[in-house]
Amino acid sequence: MTEPAISIRNLTKVYPVPFRRERVVAVRDLTLNVEPGQVYGLLGPNGSGKSTTMKIVLGLVPPTSGETQIFGRDSSLVESHEEVGFLPENPYFYKYLTGEETLRFYGKLCGMRGQALKDRSRDLLKLVGLENAADRRLGGYSKGMLQRIGLAQALIQEPRLLVLDEPTAGVDPAGSREIRDLILDFKSRGITILLCSHLLGQVQEICDRVGILHKGSLVREGRLEELISVENQTQLILENASPELLAKIEAEVARGGAGLVEKSKPQTTLERYFLEVTK
Amino acid sequence: MSNQSTDTSVAETALKRAPASRGHIHPHHQSFSFARVFAIASNTLLELVRLKVFYFLLIFALVLIGSSAFMINFTFQEQFQVLKDSSLGAMSIFTWLLAVLATAMLLPKDIEDRTLYTILAKPVPRFEYLLGKLLGVLGLLFISTVVMTGLFFTVLYARQELEIAKVVQESAAMAKGMEAAAETATEAVTGTVASVSEQTAAAVKAIKDSTFSWSLGPAIVAIYLKAALFAALTLLISTFASSWIFTIVTSVAIYFIGTIQPIAREYWLANNAGTPLAKAFLALVALLFPDLQLFNLVDDIVAGNTISNILFLKTASLGVVYVTVYLFLAYFIFSKKEL
Repeated sequence: MTEPAISIRNLTKVYPVPFRRERVVAVRDLTLNVEPGQVYGLLGPNGSGKSTTMKIVLGLVPPTSGETQIFGRDSSLVESHEEVGFLPENPYFYKYLTGEETLRFYGKLCGMRGQALKDRSRDLLKLVGLENAADRRLGGYSKGMLQRIGLAQALIQEPRLLVLDEPTAGVDPAGSREIRDLILDFKSRGITILLCSHLLGQVQEICDRVGILHKGSLVREGRLEELISVENQTQLILENASPELLAKIEAEVARGGAGLVEKSKPQTTLERYFLEVTK
Repeated sequence: MSNQSTDTSVAETALKRAPASRGHIHPHHQSFSFARVFAIASNTLLELVRLKVFYFLLIFALVLIGSSAFMINFTFQEQFQVLKDSSLGAMSIFTWLLAVLATAMLLPKDIEDRTLYTILAKPVPRFEYLLGKLLGVLGLLFISTVVMTGLFFTVLYARQELEIAKVVQESAAMAKGMEAAAETATEAVTGTVASVSEQTAAAVKAIKDSTFSWSLGPAIVAIYLKAALFAALTLLISTFASSWIFTIVTSVAIYFIGTIQPIAREYWLANNAGTPLAKAFLALVALLFPDLQLFNLVDDIVAGNTISNILFLKTASLGVVYVTVYLFLAYFIFSKKEL
């Protein structure tokens, strides 16, 4: 059996409130696994414990009890970070570094150097579409560009797991779509992704599996299509169907004992329309 | 999308060799890596340089020039004394101020911008992060000290040459006058001419003695060590401070307490006999508020006293011990910090 990319067992995190007796339970007895190759969406309202969970997985915060592992290694060990790339929410990297210098800096932190690091930085800049901005300082980057350099920095040491916190927050629709395409691309290369997001539409488009956190507890978990498909209904979309044909189908439906729930013209999404207009 | 296909082909090159080259990309993780510390240190130094902190050196240059402008009526010994006193004093204040201000913002900025998360999410131990930050500041202080020393020595040398030129000119004029007299007078005057050149040589030597002396070295090293001590102390405070204002205010307060504490300690010791409890208390006070008088070799050196090697070594090792202790205390707090 392959070991899970992330394994969280009975994780609890309690924060003391300064100068008071009460305590805040950020995560309560959480257990979940993320299998290799999956895109896992961790959802939940603000303050539900998503960020805390993520920080514990990355070893930035120690758990009160329970344990987390990354590919079988305890995530409180520094070595386990070799397999993880992380993009925090609204990151600001060093403004005075250029795109390429940023990638080299993070590469050096992972023990890379020389020509291999140079090549890797160039490849990643190309991958995220920033090769023309490689020599510009990050202070002049747009929000979308910062997120893309953030993705590149997360990937610098070729980790098998990516942890992304709100990767498209505050990015315009075109940039957001590019980031989404990049994530799907990473997935097709076999990289496991843990994604925290509020943008449910986007989560629905890219995640295989989702978990919903509420007040620190996992309230629902499972494969996306199992969770949201309506089992007893089927959707049919026709093109160039004449009114006569439609009438015939409706009659046939009624004769077969089924009920027609809705008949409408499919609409393009506002996103697709917006992208079309601003192309 | 039109760039979809190019994206994909680039993705091939960037990602496809992942499994094959894994061993190459992931060298065995070392529990301490100087390369990582160096990467963080040089990045910190680069940050400070690109933030243009070196502009303060211009102010130092102005102090230097200003201090030599208003002492025309002094004797050369006095002039050099004032020049050395004010230059070393300014160096001491500037390096200290730079150490406190540059260090105070390093951690809070990284935490606020979440840059710290991205760094610690890489295989970087927290100790290396702190050490790298500290070494970056120490590098900045080193460069500043070297540049200020260079400026100071240049001005001092220029004034020395000016004085020598003046003395040589005066004595040459004097000798000329005497030679003219010698043609008509007795042998006694010839002897005086010889003694004039001796006097000139003595005057030049006196000038040289009152400018450069070997003891300037220890004074400058002590200035650097004091700044290094404050960089480490400020880093320590910033690991638990809630804001950088708090860090700066605390660090400055410790500076002043550290400057006056030897006096307070003497007074206190005079009234309390050296009980073990009193000694322990004093040791704690000395750790929290370093005795800055020990680093003040400048006054002695400017006054012309020589610094014994023992005293210098004691001061230097004390500085190194303080920096090390503060660094480990900072790590102790930082390693438990919830980010």
